[in-house]
Amino acid sequence: MEHGEHVEDKDHFERQLALLMHGAHEQTSYDIPRRDRLHAGVRARRRVRTARRAAGSLLAVAGLGLGLFLWPHGRVEDRPSAPRPHPATSPVPVPSTSPSPSAPPSSTDSPSGPPSSSSTGTATPDSTPTTSNAPGAGGSSATSTQQPPATSTATAQSTTAPPASATESAPPDPSDTPSSVISPTR
Amino acid sequence: MEQARAGEYDAFVAARWSVLFHLARLLTGGDRHRAEDLLQESLVKLWFVWPKVADEAPEAYVRTVLARAAARSARRRWWGERPVEELPEVAAAGDLSAAVAERSRLEAALALLSPQQRAAVVLRYYQDLPDRQVAEILGCPVGTARSHAARGVARLRRLLADVIEPVG
Repeated sequence: MEHGEHVEDKDHFERQLALLMHGAHEQTSYDIPRRDRLHAGVRARRRVRTARRAAGSLLAVAGLGLGLFLWPHGRVEDRPSAPRPHPATSPVPVPSTSPSPSAPPSSTDSPSGPPSSSSTGTATPDSTPTTSNAPGAGGSSATSTQQPPATSTATAQSTTAPPASATESAPPDPSDTPSSVISPTR
Repeated sequence: MEQARAGEYDAFVAARWSVLFHLARLLTGGDRHRAEDLLQESLVKLWFVWPKVADEAPEAYVRTVLARAAARSARRRWWGERPVEELPEVAAAGDLSAAVAERSRLEAALALLSPQQRAAVVLRYYQDLPDRQVAEILGCPVGTARSHAARGVARLRRLLADVIEPVG
């Protein structure tokens, strides 16, 4: 209806203009050069689309790979640090608050902290049965942890609580235990 | 499958080439080369949507693409021409047929319109589309499309006064 209505609205000039536009129609044929040109345009456009699609896929894969690469690191960084594992305490009710001898990696936990020597000292429980008894006048591990680093404590506990020390000081490494370190008796 | 698609597509283009080319020529104000480029771009786009529009209205699709591209084109070639109120060219008797002379006058007058006005006038008077459809094709409100067409016709009325004689 609208089509017919707006035709009625046209004045003489507009009708003549429409006739003029239709009358100006010049017959042209879709000849072979035009067809070849059109097909060449289609092929070129197809190549562009393919290249664009391949580039898009490549970018997507690269982005995904980068995201996957960065994902674990980001998660570890963002995670609040877990409390460090407390040294295993012996089942025997020992009143001491000193770390167990099996805390070589957490050398910072020990207040007396000779960093490496104490840790190495703990690794040699078998070499200190005599030395553990020597300072053992007090017999408590608290005194032994304060003075000479954890070596005496370790040995003391190893003697008093065999099961715990046996499990904790499992990797004995005599090679890296300087004898000078394990001389708290002096 | 591809062969059948190409065959149908070629048949459509061959059948409608002349009409579509004339539309492109009006939309470009008689610029033959630009009309060819415009039509080719539109037909290339048609190829990639052919499976979707082949059974519906491929010509309407090409018409929309043509009109939008023509109306959007801010590029104007500089031909060393200056817009004037009165067209100086008068058809010389004997060297050109009257039809060619009229067509030349019409295209020269259309070339003086803005791209939007030209597209609106061509769609409204050559394609005989209602204002609503013209607005849809041009992607603008109906009032804007109507305004483009009205201003374009007003200008053509002045430019083609001697070609289209006023009644009585």
